[in-house]
Order: sequence, then C-alpha cells, then structure tokens
Amino acid sequence: MTRRPQPRPSRRSLLTAGAGTAGAAGLSACSGFSTDGGGGGSSTGGGPGTLTMITWAGDAELTAFQALADGFAAQGGPTVELQVVPYSEVLTAVDTGLRTDTPPDLFRVSYTDVAAYRTQGVLANLTDTADLEPAFLPAFWSAVTDDDGTFGIPHHTDTSMVLVNTAAVASAGLGALPTTLDAAWTWEQFADAARRVQPSRADTYAFAVNWQNAGAYRWLNFVDQAGGRLLTQDLSAVSADDPGMLKALTYTRDFFRQGLVPQASSSRGQPASDLFVNQTVAMVFAGDFLLEEIDGAGFDYQATFLPRDVNASADLGGNALVAVEASPNRDAALDFLAYCAGAQQMGDFCAAATVLPTRTDVDPASLDYAVRPDLMPLFVEQATTIREQLVQQVVVPDFSAVNAQLADQLDGIFLGSGDDAAALADLVAGVQSVLTS
Amino acid sequence: MSADVASRRPPEPARTAVRPGPSRRAAAVRRWAASYALLTPALVLFGLFMLYPLVQAVRISLTNSTGIGTADFVGLQNYARMVSDPVFWRAAGNTGLLAVVSVPSSIAAGFGIALLLRDRLPARGVFRGLFLAPYVISGVVVAMAGRWIFDENVGIVDRTLGGLGLPAPDWQSGGTAAAVSVFVMLFWARTGLVVVLYLSALQGIDSDLLEAAELDGASRWQRVRFVSWPLLRPTTFFITVLMVIEVFQVFDVIRVMTGGGPAGATEILVTYAYTQGFQARREGYGSAIGVVVFLVILVATLLWWRVQRRAEEEQ
Repeated sequence: MTRRPQPRPSRRSLLTAGAGTAGAAGLSACSGFSTDGGGGGSSTGGGPGTLTMITWAGDAELTAFQALADGFAAQGGPTVELQVVPYSEVLTAVDTGLRTDTPPDLFRVSYTDVAAYRTQGVLANLTDTADLEPAFLPAFWSAVTDDDGTFGIPHHTDTSMVLVNTAAVASAGLGALPTTLDAAWTWEQFADAARRVQPSRADTYAFAVNWQNAGAYRWLNFVDQAGGRLLTQDLSAVSADDPGMLKALTYTRDFFRQGLVPQASSSRGQPASDLFVNQTVAMVFAGDFLLEEIDGAGFDYQATFLPRDVNASADLGGNALVAVEASPNRDAALDFLAYCAGAQQMGDFCAAATVLPTRTDVDPASLDYAVRPDLMPLFVEQATTIREQLVQQVVVPDFSAVNAQLADQLDGIFLGSGDDAAALADLVAGVQSVLTS
Repeated sequence: MSADVASRRPPEPARTAVRPGPSRRAAAVRRWAASYALLTPALVLFGLFMLYPLVQAVRISLTNSTGIGTADFVGLQNYARMVSDPVFWRAAGNTGLLAVVSVPSSIAAGFGIALLLRDRLPARGVFRGLFLAPYVISGVVVAMAGRWIFDENVGIVDRTLGGLGLPAPDWQSGGTAAAVSVFVMLFWARTGLVVVLYLSALQGIDSDLLEAAELDGASRWQRVRFVSWPLLRPTTFFITVLMVIEVFQVFDVIRVMTGGGPAGATEILVTYAYTQGFQARREGYGSAIGVVVFLVILVATLLWWRVQRRAEEEQ
C-alpha cells in the first residue's frame, strides 16, 4: 500500500490562494469592530425594529436587564438586544461605536461618566420630564441634568457601608454595632473600634477601604464628612488649603501609618472586597452590589454605617441609562428609558440586582431582595447621606481625569512619608493640572 | 610571456550599444509585476494594521481628544506637557531600568541554559518545549500566577518565608519588592524564547570549528568565549533588539500584577499611556506618549544596528 505523492502547489495556485487570503483579511478588516453582521446602518443594532444596548452585567443583573427588555417588547416596543461587555471595556466599546458611526442605541454608564458624554453632544435629551422629575431623589436627578436638559435616567444607585466579620469583631468585644444613622460611629469611635479588632494572624488587619483604582473618588467621602471640598463651589478649580481636605488626608493616612489597613489596599492596590473575602481584613467598606459575591465567602458578617465627622456622607454609586442622540432609533430608545424609569420596573430590577432604587415612590422595604434582605434597609438609610454637594463634584466633565489623578496621588501619599500639608499640596497640584488642561 | 598570455586570453565580446529588445522589457515587467503581486498582500496588511494606525496615533497626539466627539488641534502641546510631567519621567526611567536589567539577564541565562541543553541533556525537545511554554501562554495568565505567588498577604512566597522565620517582602506595597516581582515574572516568561533561539543557533555552528579549537588546546570556556560567542553575534543582535522592543511593549503583566503601583514604582511608559488614554480620558496625551515610545524604539534599534554593522565590518 503506497501513498500517492501529493502534487506540489504551483506558483499560480499559491498566488491565487494568497490573493484570496488577503481579500478575506481585507473584508474582515472592513467589518470593523461590529459584533454582529447587521451593519449597514448607522447603529450597531441588528436592524430596524431592534435596539442595541451596551452594558456590563453580572448574572443577576443580566437577568434583570433581560426582563426589562422582554417587558418592553411585550408592550409592543422593539426588541432590545443586550451587548454585555466587561466593566473595564464598556466605555471603550461605546467610544468605538461612536467613532465608527455605529453607535449603540443605548448604554449603561456610571454617574461620574455621564458629563463626559453629555458635553460632547452624544446623549439624547429627555424632553418631556415634567412627570418624571418629581418621582426621583434630587441628588440622582441632578447627576444626569444640567441647564440644557436631562440626558438619561438615574436607573439605580448603590453606596458603601462598613461590613464587619462577625467572629472577628466578637473577639474584639465591640458590642452591638450602630443600627441607625444617628448612632453611627464618629471618626474617633471608628478608629478606636479598628484598633480593638484583634487580628487572628500576624498578616491580618482591621479593615480596608474601597478606594482602589476607579473607586478612588470614594476618598472624597472622608473629605465631605470632614466638611471639606475637593473642588471649589463653582467647580472650576481645586480647593487649595481646604482644612476639611487636610483633616481627611491626615485621618486616612493614619490608617496606613498605624497599620490598621494592609499596605496593599492603597488606591492602586488590591480590591478591598478581595481582602475581606479571603479574611485578610475583619472589616471592609463595600457597596451593596458586592453582597452577592461576599455572601459566597462562607462566613457571617454584619453591616454598619460609614463613620461620620462633621457630616454623614456616602459615595454616589450606581448607574444611569442613556440614549444616543445620533441613533436612528433615538425615539424608540427614549421610550425604552421611560419604560425602565417606571416604578414597577425599577423595583423589580433593584430587587434582582441587589441595588437601590432612585425613585422616591419605590419603597426598598417592599422589595424582595435575593441576597441579605436584612441588610438592604441599612443601605437604603445610608444612601440618604449621599449629599448633593459631593455629587456635583463627582459629575464634572473632567472627572475621569480627576479620578485617575486621585488614584495616583493618594497611592503615593498613603504609602509615602513626609508632611501631610506638603502631600496635600501635591494632590491639589496634580488634580489642578488635569482640570485646567 | 605577456604576449603569450595575451594570446591565450579569450577574445572580449564587442562592446556595442545593445538596447533591450521588447522581449527583455516584457520579461522585466513580468518580473516586476510578479514581485509586487507577491508583496501586495503583505503591503496591504502592513498598511491597514501598522501604517494607518501609526499615522492616526500621530494625528491624535496633536489634538486634545478625549476619545469622545470632536477634538481640537493643539499642536505640540501634549509633547510639551510631557516635559513637565513627573510621572512620565518616572515611567520613562522605570522602562529604561527594566530594559537595562532584564535584557542582559535574559540573554545571559538563556545562553547558559542553551549551552547546557546542547551538549548534555537527553530529551532536548521536551526541555525546549518546557522553556518556551511560559512565552507562549497568555501574559495575563503569567501575571495572574505572579499575583498569587507574590501576594503579600496570602501568597506562597511570603508564607514560605514567614514559615522559615525570614522577613517577608511587601510585594504589593513596597516599591523595590514590587519591581522585583514584576522582573521575576517577566524573566520567567521571556527567557524561554532566548533559550530556543540560542539553541537553534548553537546547533548551526560547524562542529569542525569547535573540534579544531579543542585540538589546538582551547579549554571549554575558551571555545565558548572565542568560537561560539562571536559566531552567535547575529543571533545576539536579533535577540537584543527583540527583547528591548518587548520590554517597551510590556503591558499585561504589569497591568495585572501591580497596576503600575505602588506609588508609580512599576509604572512604565506603556501602562502610563493606557492610564492616560483610557482611564483619564486624555487620549491625545496618551497617544503622544505612545508616539514617543515608538520613536525611542526606532532610534535605539537603528543605533544598535549601526554599532553591530560596524563591529562586523571591523572583523
């Protein structure tokens, strides 16, 4: 049994194959970054009658978004096709669509990023908001509104609280944790409690704060609690020599100087929730959207309010849903936003995704939360301390650059040495440099 | 004698001005057409995926683009800003330091391992695969492994050192320790390629040369130093250029392991460009940093190439 020799390819056949391959590569390149074959129009959508929404989503959130899409279609609206991308890639996906004239019809965006798109004319204006506005809490409505209009709906919110490993704090003899805002620990009481938490091993710590990377802005909670401001009242510059900011810097820097937090939990370090889950820390500042992940760690934990100083203050978490002005399906997209803003739909979404409603007429106590329903009322109460003064500062158009600068500067400050006032001067100069550019 | 020689020389052909006939011209055109037909796919791909993005990057670097909407032309403002940006200079210094430390060490280790594999080891192919594996697997996987190995709270290295009563470095929060952890993972991931390249080159050296040197009394070290090493100069040149370019392109490992921290200790130009372009939404500035990285690599490669060529000419 002999094998017949294969004929050698001729030069002509090689050239033909090469041309074919190049043609195919060229055609695939021409298809750009579109994730479906629809194309042809000025939207990434799957064609007329279909809306495309770019979002990030965990399993529970995806189910909740799909329920919104199905409900909208059941009411006679167009199909909403969800394009789920990782959180870190969502803005890149949106920007790529905008640049290639294939924008999504809708996308999900954090409140701190809304202004960057709004000032570039990307977002569609919700013209008829007379009925909607009174239904929303003012702090969230203002996050998507300016003098020119309202450019999205504040879809949900989340905020941080202090989660406490029950066993770790029992050994410290801290007693019952504060269960009302009025009884929340003061800064001094919190620091005292942290010092009393006995680490179970030499390499464990009292707590970690969730200010890593994109969460760097949560350091501003401390500034606001101390009565300070990062930005001036007119939001055009950094507040130089702000005593509240200096007080917050000293207080938070002491966490590292006194060894209360892991050095690795600095603003460019490891996510605080990871350190809590692997029990490196006994307490953690964490948002309610993390409860599902933390609940799987297999130990008991409780929640108490963020410490307070001059003010009680919490970070603006959560996201808006926005429609794209250039979308050929703009009106249908705005209809979908109005549908999602409904009280019933918002309540269902929040219950499924373990986040908080932004409407005043959705009672969180009535929602059937799947994860730690006992803790959600506390988060609701904490969310009432999201102050408009702080919200205004974190929704300025340059906030992405400000936040990145905060992460860099705070990392150096927390892990470095030297005078606090000089460190604050560096931070102010750094943030000012990106505001003026 | 000279006349005799001249008489034996074959007659030179008459030098007449012969113009290429139509058939020769057609042949030249056919050759030209065939050459460009073969080159076209590569040129199209190069133009689409290399040249066009490069030109666009230069264009964006001259604007104040945020990545959204329109951008204004700002001339060389982004480049001027770099001069007074301390983080840029720190990132540039870190990049240079990483190149100075990691390239020679990878070459030295790779060459040494290749020598061992060439002579002594059975099942060389298996070991070659093992050494190349870290280079082939995803940088993110390498970085994730490094992050767990060097975690200063729950990592195996610090746990082991602690168990032995030795001080445990702060791999995430100590600048020097963080840089060392990144270097170790990059060294592990990159050296395998150097081993394979040197091994191939060593096997291409004529064994007669080495045998002759041995018969002349050259020791093992002298054979490596004065025979093998000079013959491997082109390979070393290629590896050096390749490794330097790779150092300037390292992103995934640092991004995942340290994110450029702590306090900028592991920030290099590429990670800084990404942070500025995508996180801070200063796309124009990020592109300008990218263009500078490109120019540095280009100039460094040209310089190294000239030095190499001069050395070969002197030989």
